[in-house]
Amino acid sequence: MTARRWLALALGLALIASRAEAIEIKEVTTPLGIKAWLVEDSSTPVVALSFSFASGSTGDPETQKGLTSLTANLLTDGAGPLDAQAFKQRQEDASAALGFAASLDHVGGSLRLLSARRDEAFELLRLAVTAPRFDADRVEQRRAQMIAGLAQADQRPASVAQRTMMATVFAGHPYGANVSGVREDLQGLTVQQIRDRAATVLTRSGLIVAAVGDIDAAELSRQLDRAFGALPAGAARPALPDWTPPAKPRTVNVERPVPQSSVLIALPAIPRDDPDWHAAVVLAHVLGGGQQSRLFTEVREKRGLAYSVSSALRSQRKASLLVVATGSAGEKVPDSLRIIKAELVRMREGVTDRELADARTYLGGSLALLLDSSSAVASLLHGLQVDRQPRDYLDRRAALIGAVKAEDVRRVARRILREEAMTTVVVGKPAGATATVTVEP
Amino acid sequence: MRRRAALGGLFAGALLTPRASALAGLLQVNRRPSETFTLPNGLQVVVLPSSRAPIVTQMLVYKVGSADETYGQTGIAHFLEHMMFKGTGVLAATEFSRTVTRNGGRDNAFTDFDMTGYHQTIASDRLELVMRMEADRMVNLRILDSELRPERQVVLEERRMRVDNVPSEMLDEAVREQLFGLHKPYAMPTAGYADDVKKLGVNELVAFYRRFYAPNNAVLIIAGDAKAEAVRKLAEKYYGPIPSRRVVARQRPAEGGGDLPQRVTRADERVPEPRWSRDFLAPSYRVGETRHVHALQVLTRLFGGSETSRLSRALVTRDKIALSATSGYGATSLGLTSFEIAVQPARGRGVAEVEAAVGDQMKRVLDGEVRAEEVERAQNRLLAGAIYSQDSLASGPRLYGSALSTGGSIAEIDGWPQAIAAVRPDDVVAAARHVWRDEGAVTSMLTPAGGWK
Repeated sequence: MTARRWLALALGLALIASRAEAIEIKEVTTPLGIKAWLVEDSSTPVVALSFSFASGSTGDPETQKGLTSLTANLLTDGAGPLDAQAFKQRQEDASAALGFAASLDHVGGSLRLLSARRDEAFELLRLAVTAPRFDADRVEQRRAQMIAGLAQADQRPASVAQRTMMATVFAGHPYGANVSGVREDLQGLTVQQIRDRAATVLTRSGLIVAAVGDIDAAELSRQLDRAFGALPAGAARPALPDWTPPAKPRTVNVERPVPQSSVLIALPAIPRDDPDWHAAVVLAHVLGGGQQSRLFTEVREKRGLAYSVSSALRSQRKASLLVVATGSAGEKVPDSLRIIKAELVRMREGVTDRELADARTYLGGSLALLLDSSSAVASLLHGLQVDRQPRDYLDRRAALIGAVKAEDVRRVARRILREEAMTTVVVGKPAGATATVTVEP
Repeated sequence: MRRRAALGGLFAGALLTPRASALAGLLQVNRRPSETFTLPNGLQVVVLPSSRAPIVTQMLVYKVGSADETYGQTGIAHFLEHMMFKGTGVLAATEFSRTVTRNGGRDNAFTDFDMTGYHQTIASDRLELVMRMEADRMVNLRILDSELRPERQVVLEERRMRVDNVPSEMLDEAVREQLFGLHKPYAMPTAGYADDVKKLGVNELVAFYRRFYAPNNAVLIIAGDAKAEAVRKLAEKYYGPIPSRRVVARQRPAEGGGDLPQRVTRADERVPEPRWSRDFLAPSYRVGETRHVHALQVLTRLFGGSETSRLSRALVTRDKIALSATSGYGATSLGLTSFEIAVQPARGRGVAEVEAAVGDQMKRVLDGEVRAEEVERAQNRLLAGAIYSQDSLASGPRLYGSALSTGGSIAEIDGWPQAIAAVRPDDVVAAARHVWRDEGAVTSMLTPAGGWK
């Protein structure tokens, strides 16, 4: 490494240190024992809250797929004395936005409010989580919307690819089921099942909260106890079964009448708490994390095979994946796949010094670029807690990334980039020999 | 413009006499300061300081978009945007984005009907770097055939992803052709027709670049951790030496398509359930009966802006005809724009039922049935949205960029909250009567292959 590059690196690190100081994360513990991370910022009269309950769609019973999603969607459709219209009207009059959505591991919520109207906004949150109504007509409407949504998603190649990839990689595991459910199950869900599911999900055990904006610790504490304090503690969640990653390469073709095919390649990655995690982050970045990446250069820049091509790590509580995504006209898919797979093989040889230095500079500071709004910061702080990271993670991240060496990336590349664990999904018009692409490692 | 979000606004400190306490409270929020100046070569610069995080966004918006193309060369503005990331005399191909990333930043660009924007977000001590590079590619772009050829395939793949793969976008192209008139500025797709894109070469792109890329045809916005004085010095240093060019003033038709009303149907095997829309030609801040533009923003809020709006209450909640029913209107356009009503029918509901229900709701407004209280609620929502937009670093450059590149002014942006707060129920009715007319309407349906059953 040249002296000049060292200088650039040192500058990069100094820059990151100064950024981290910009965010001071406090931990707040309320009198009732609810914990939250808080970043106070009174520069705009806005507060953003990001929170989650510790049970997601993987808690859907076998013939009730979609139950948790439907339940989450209904939480803002009337609560306590307020029917759906009255609830939404109160929310709008307070200029507050409250929403819930299920994911595999959680039911997540977000609340955005003007600090001058915080009492009203937190009151609506309290009503939504402690006294949701699940009125029959709203249940029918949300059910119909979800079923229509499934039908539409089934015609969007990118959604079909995503669904097919998850169902293939996680076959036999709860992660293989669609968060949004399946039509037949949704049709049969009863109001009682929804009520029961809400009672199981909406508890304080495993509740994660992040707050950002124009509110201090004492006030946040008071509001959180009001909103969540009346919830039951909740029982321990049944543990998810362990996942056995695929041991054989698979290619799945799904036919859809579209001019551009959607392509996903999924590889089992390493757990979020693995010592090599940050090396894997560097790997995903160098491979397909932006306009400087190898995939972007080879697939798009040099050959014009795709508009979008990227790779990213995705982690859940029980599994993580490295996913490469792209889209090419049907007849070009074999070429795209060939180039991508060749890059995956080449990546096993590791990264250059230049690539590593650039990745360190970028990744060390890239989280700061996400600090665009109170909601974005709240969502980031929530995500760090979900990943069980310490409160000073943002301060330490640059050093963790900076400590990644070329041999670490090579080692993690060999752990992850294995032909025998690769699942390939192509959604579109079959053209040429998409189903029979093979790669010689 | 069809399916484009309405213009938000930042807040002015001064107050009108507001009618209601909620509105008063929202109007009292101090607006973020902005500073603006113009370089001798005509480049307008806007600085939106915020010390919240040590990051800064540079956005350079050129006053040119796909509506400035000619039929036969559609897609050229967007294609050029892609080529702007190739080399200049100073930077090698792709080095622009690589340098931004290497310095811990992010960059991207967009093309719209009236504007083309380039933006980077980066640590504030790297502002000089991105200003130097952005100024460089304003004059020194080198378009090589060897780089253009693969990029053309990329542009075509982008079109496939955004348009050809999406039935509703294909219908949108057909609706625009009727609403604005075939081959007219807003009827030509921003992505371009594929046959045109295939024919575009170096000469066409260079001519377009020379014609429109000039300091006097651009607005520079710097938002975030930066001081106006420092920005001025950097702007003078890097953009200042670039000579201005004669740029012909842009024209937009004062009329829409010639043969309205029209009905457009796209039957597509990829569509599982039908959708229904009606678009009306509407004035923008610049063209048409501009006195209605603020009332139209209030109208779309109270008529179809959320689940508590009239359409949703009637069609979704009460009559269960629809799964969703919304409206949309955006006033920021150099030419005419549109007011759109969109319905996702409930399963088994027919087109006649949907049209009767929408017609009934429209008639109530046209008959003058608009209450002061619902107008005020809509105003509240619009003003609160503007406060929330202050909470985002990205929203300021977008707002100023789109307003200033379509003939707007800082005074207009500053005056927006008062203009919204001043709208009365009568104004909303008058605006609806002006826009909701058959002679400016295109009704469109997206249906499964077998039609709407």
